[in-house]
Amino acid sequence: MAVAPKISVGDDYKEKYGFFDPEKFVFKAKRGLTEEIVREISWMKEEPQWMTDMRVRSLGIFRKKAMPTWGADLSIIDFDNIFYFLKSTEKQQTKWEDVPEDIKRTFDKLGIPEAERKFLAGVSAQYESEVVYHSLHKELTDKGVIFTDTDTALREHPDLFKEYFGTIIPPADNKFAALNTAVWSGGSFIYVPKGVRVEIPLQAYFRINAENMGQFERTLIICDEDSFVHYIEGCTAPIYTTDSLHSAVVEIIVKRNARCRYTTIQNWSTNVYNLVTKRAVVYGDATMEWVDGNLGSQITMKYPSVYLMEPGAKGDVLSVAFAGKGQHQDAGGKMIHVAPNTTSTITSKSISKNGGRTSYRGHIKVYPGANNCKSFVKCDALLLDDESRSDTYPYNDVDAENVTLGHEATVSKVSDEQLFYLMSRGITQNEAETMIVNGFIEPFTKELPLEYAVELNRLIQLEMEGSVG
Amino acid sequence: MGSPGFTLEAVDELAGLHQEPDWLRTRRRDAFGVYEKLDLPSRQLEEWRRVDFKGLKLDQFKPFENANGGPPSEPIDGAAGVLRQRGSEPGKVDIDPELAAKGVIFMPLSQAAREHPELIQRHLFSQVKPDRDKFSALHAALFSGGTLLYVPDWVTIDKPLVGQFWSSGGGAAVLPHTLILAGKGSRFNYLDEFLSPTLDEGALTSGSAELFLDEGADVGYVSLQKWGRHAYQFADQRAHLRKDSAVHIFNVTLGGRFAKIRVEATLDGPGASAELKGIYFGSEDQFFDFHTLQDHMVGNTTSDLLFKGALQDTSHAVYAGLIHIEKGAARSDAYQANRNLVLSDKAKATSIPMLEIDNNDVRCTHGATVGPVDPMHLFYLVSRGIPEATAQRMIVQGFFGEVIDRIPFEQARQVVLDELESRLG
Repeated sequence: MAVAPKISVGDDYKEKYGFFDPEKFVFKAKRGLTEEIVREISWMKEEPQWMTDMRVRSLGIFRKKAMPTWGADLSIIDFDNIFYFLKSTEKQQTKWEDVPEDIKRTFDKLGIPEAERKFLAGVSAQYESEVVYHSLHKELTDKGVIFTDTDTALREHPDLFKEYFGTIIPPADNKFAALNTAVWSGGSFIYVPKGVRVEIPLQAYFRINAENMGQFERTLIICDEDSFVHYIEGCTAPIYTTDSLHSAVVEIIVKRNARCRYTTIQNWSTNVYNLVTKRAVVYGDATMEWVDGNLGSQITMKYPSVYLMEPGAKGDVLSVAFAGKGQHQDAGGKMIHVAPNTTSTITSKSISKNGGRTSYRGHIKVYPGANNCKSFVKCDALLLDDESRSDTYPYNDVDAENVTLGHEATVSKVSDEQLFYLMSRGITQNEAETMIVNGFIEPFTKELPLEYAVELNRLIQLEMEGSVG
Repeated sequence: MGSPGFTLEAVDELAGLHQEPDWLRTRRRDAFGVYEKLDLPSRQLEEWRRVDFKGLKLDQFKPFENANGGPPSEPIDGAAGVLRQRGSEPGKVDIDPELAAKGVIFMPLSQAAREHPELIQRHLFSQVKPDRDKFSALHAALFSGGTLLYVPDWVTIDKPLVGQFWSSGGGAAVLPHTLILAGKGSRFNYLDEFLSPTLDEGALTSGSAELFLDEGADVGYVSLQKWGRHAYQFADQRAHLRKDSAVHIFNVTLGGRFAKIRVEATLDGPGASAELKGIYFGSEDQFFDFHTLQDHMVGNTTSDLLFKGALQDTSHAVYAGLIHIEKGAARSDAYQANRNLVLSDKAKATSIPMLEIDNNDVRCTHGATVGPVDPMHLFYLVSRGIPEATAQRMIVQGFFGEVIDRIPFEQARQVVLDELESRLG
């Protein structure tokens, strides 16, 4: 196995957004991946037999599938050097007051709880591999909305769970989906009943906090007809010296006339391999929106996709990637037009700095018979110095009649004119650049809830400060 | 005429037919060795993913073709020089004596290999490399003659030069190769025309070209492909540009059943600029696959690419292009666009414009569109009393207009317009 390169994220990383807590575990699986470990995970969780079988079957698929040879360089991942399951001592929490102090401190540093108490209906915070804190607004429960961690959902809503789990992203979809299905743990489960609109965003906070620990959360969202939900997932992690693997699977079903928005801000520390499969199927006149921000991790490969299954379905991906030193953000989106009269848009904004590399990789597929579809893709890239790199790989396949498809991309540096204008008004170069970068990603930030937008702007500022000093 | 199948004997026989010097024969034999070693490109590879080899049986083609059939005999007006080649026989050249006096060399490649080995040895297959894939190797082993055009420093040729390649299409491989060497500050236009009738038998064709532009040269190159409807074409057209040179490549692809064409420019000196334009029109079951490359090796270089295609019936076109900016290539300006007009519900267009940018001080833009004729445009014309079929044709002609108008040779423009007219009925 290749030796993992040491990634320097700066000495002050901890103060900025890193944090450590002493590790406390009830159970810590051995490193590496065997059928025994997969069965043990299932047994620990007291899962029904079908899930154990599915995990074991997925492990076989995972072993059979080859590593992807395209995209980022994944040869460094050592699957035998990863913990596949951890369970923290903390039991499920129902009230904020009962959440342990050290975990609270971590969240405080991220500026989350104060804001969310006022604004948010429920918080499902994932600490290590299992959800430790969970609250759900009474009002939502009364409406029949289910918002829980995925493990609990399997126990408490077995029929609903079995009906949808693994139907959008089957284990054989790709190597990492198979891995996730074999060892998944945690994640969120949301069910929004017919006609229910969840006006307040639902949030979960994911973190990795043990050295060499893979995190394999599994999220399943079902929006029944005429419903609406906005789910927010954000993550940040403390730094460690060896590589960590994060390989999540997110499955979403948006039924007729419903709308689902899924917002992610990914800020793993820069030693994490983030390989995520996200997919939504959308039925008649329904809408799926992915708002996807990638700031952290060493390597991210993530292409949220939307399958437009019935006429009138609409898909939207808004993707922002920021790659600093040693980072490769290989992100984008996929729109699969299965039915006629469906529309999609992908907007991608990427920024590379200090030798970082951003790649937009997308796929627009229009199946035969899916006539009168419209799709538009726009990718803008900003290169902040001459060490950095930006790529665009859009794949467009049209097999139907009367389809309008457009793709546009630009790559440029921060415009000298803009910089000059700002600096001539007494703004320092660094401030001016930060302003321009923040302006560049504004279409993304303005789609975020306020507290996230503030946090994102702060993160960009921190990243930009590093570029000068 | 050789029997079907590509063999080393056929390589020797072809070299003998062209009376080629030993060094060239050795090169052919080496390339043939590469051909035999390589498998058909794997469809796992991104470049070949969308290519369907079904129906292509390489061992059924005769390795070359003795001239038969009736090549076009109508004179080519307004050309400074014409080289006509039938099948695999050495071509016949007709050149303005004034040009020859200025030192312009325009002759069949085999003759040039005998008379000007220093020019050929250095350049032939140095841009279009034989080991790139099986088809490149076959082309280098069995290229059926072709052209050398050498224009000395500071020579300007006002009228275009024309190479015309005719194949009877009778189940043989006809693989012409064009080598263009443009001296410092030279200026000229060149047209390659590839023709064959449509017979039931297949044919294997190419139409590869290598262009070398020395400092300050300005060269227009038009490739007008009208191979018969049963031809399989594999072609590489590649230009290498030194400082301050400018190339204008026009790739017009109309014929063949299957065409896999690479159009590439390497910008290797500051001030170099490449204009790469393409037109393709697919009918019936034609399949076209274009790969383009704008390779900015150094800074202060410009490239401008526009490929426009219209597709009717069940035709299918793939466009995949890459802009590559090397690390040190600051102040490069690259543009890449692919526009597809899909005229029938069974036609298909795949468009993959790609960017790989390693420098921040650049301006790179690309765009791709796939869509039907705009109903608003159609409505406008029809509302003015123009029959729908005519209106549709006008729109398609207008769509291609911006590229056709740039082709630096009246006769070539007319060929394209006539072809559009006849196909759009």
